Amino acid sequence: MLKTDKINTSLTAIRSLRSSVSQVFEKLSCGDEATLQQQLQDHFNTITTNLRELESAVNTFSATGPFNLGNTSFLAQETSQERQILYSQLVNSYKWIDKIHDHSYLAHNVLTSNNLKRSCISKRGRIPPTISNANSIQHLESILKECTAQHNIICKVTRPFGSNGVIILNIGRVFKAAIICKGLVMEWVTIKGWDESLELEDLWTESRYQVFQKVQDHCHVAMLHFFSTTLPHVAVKCYMTYLHNYNKLFTDVCKKCGKHLSKGLPPTWRDLRNLEPYHEECWNG
Amino acid sequence: MGVTILQPYLFQEGKGGITAIEYLTKRLISMGAKQAGSFIVDCETIVSLSSSMPQPPSNKAVHILHNSEFPASTFSILDTGAKHIPLVADNLFDLLMIKIGNVYTQKKQPSIESKGPRFEYGDFLIKLGSVTMNGNFKGILIEFEYRPCIVFLNCWELMRELIQGFLGISISSTYPQFFQQQTLISGHQSLKQNDSFQAIDTINQYLEHFINYRKQTTSIGGSTQITGLPLRS
Repeated sequence: MLKTDKINTSLTAIRSLRSSVSQVFEKLSCGDEATLQQQLQDHFNTITTNLRELESAVNTFSATGPFNLGNTSFLAQETSQERQILYSQLVNSYKWIDKIHDHSYLAHNVLTSNNLKRSCISKRGRIPPTISNANSIQHLESILKECTAQHNIICKVTRPFGSNGVIILNIGRVFKAAIICKGLVMEWVTIKGWDESLELEDLWTESRYQVFQKVQDHCHVAMLHFFSTTLPHVAVKCYMTYLHNYNKLFTDVCKKCGKHLSKGLPPTWRDLRNLEPYHEECWNG
Repeated sequence: MGVTILQPYLFQEGKGGITAIEYLTKRLISMGAKQAGSFIVDCETIVSLSSSMPQPPSNKAVHILHNSEFPASTFSILDTGAKHIPLVADNLFDLLMIKIGNVYTQKKQPSIESKGPRFEYGDFLIKLGSVTMNGNFKGILIEFEYRPCIVFLNCWELMRELIQGFLGISISSTYPQFFQQQTLISGHQSLKQNDSFQAIDTINQYLEHFINYRKQTTSIGGSTQITGLPLRS
């Protein structure tokens, strides 16, 4: 609305400028010689004011296009075919960066107000030595060996992301879990059904089954609960015990309502202290 | 591929098949299930009257089944009388059977099929199948599948709760006959209930019920086998 108003005023300004200029030529062709000079003077003054109006109207328009891309906007005027594509790509990446900026700003706001701070950086700005321990690779594997022997879990550690390990676990014949670690700190858990694949590209996708989507959510809650900066190996051990408890996912009944199913789901929540099974609704209700 | 249990539906007196399906559909929708297309399982049986063979006249039958859940496969089960030998093949197997058919001194049994709507309720898949033999209505078979689980033993209680809640009947906690069979799991004799569930297990259950339906002389009535007792009349 505002933009059309602006265009209208500038168009009116152009029209009045044109009419005042044409009046000058009219006077020149059939004017009275005595008063010509005075009249021309007046007309020129009008032209100057009209011109100023037009200029100010034009200046109200912002820079061309929605983005101020600086010199790069000249790319649009490139004559060679190959380089013309660059401009649209540039605009697209600019849009993406803009979006990322917005999202990161929002995320920053949310995270600063969140109590579950997982940052390793202490107040002095020092990273505790246990986290970035160079021995963590062997350490992680020895801890896992201990846990899996205890709980009879089949486990495999791969390192597709450099030194950071991905632990693939088989929990009974119930589900498969992938834990992505950074040193000894667990960063992400993915739960997949027994018949779903859990390759590198599946690490970030959700399971197609509702029950495992719920279990994954609950596992993330547990991961944050067990997290400890000072004793990360204890966190790993506790977490293994927690995950092992899920091998009775389909056979356990809810401690509160005594039933298997609630809204078509088995009791997916485990009490974090004594690992007793509950339905999500029963636990919250 | 999750665990599947087939449950024949016991009719209430004076109700037709269509009204029963409508009633079950209403129950499912009120439970919160969503309809997701339809399904069909069909079965053809060729019986060879092995007259050319010197052995005692044992009737060998080949059952050929299709399941719309596995559209690219043909399931065939060779019934020697003592043993069932399953074979899962591509669809081309149907064409092969036409050629082989001449070898058999064949006697075709009426084709039987179960088809109807399928519903999704959480991770459950519930299929209401009307069984028809040569176009004649024979009964209703309800298929319950729990997709995330692959071992029958793990989810039997959970499925029993769903079936009891849905059909309003009480079902005994002993495992269905099908899951009490002996089977080989990685070289060891074990019970079927511990084995990973496979597509052929669904087909075997269907075949079991289809054979029962064929044996029945009366069409609709109380002769369908059911382990539970009706709670509501």
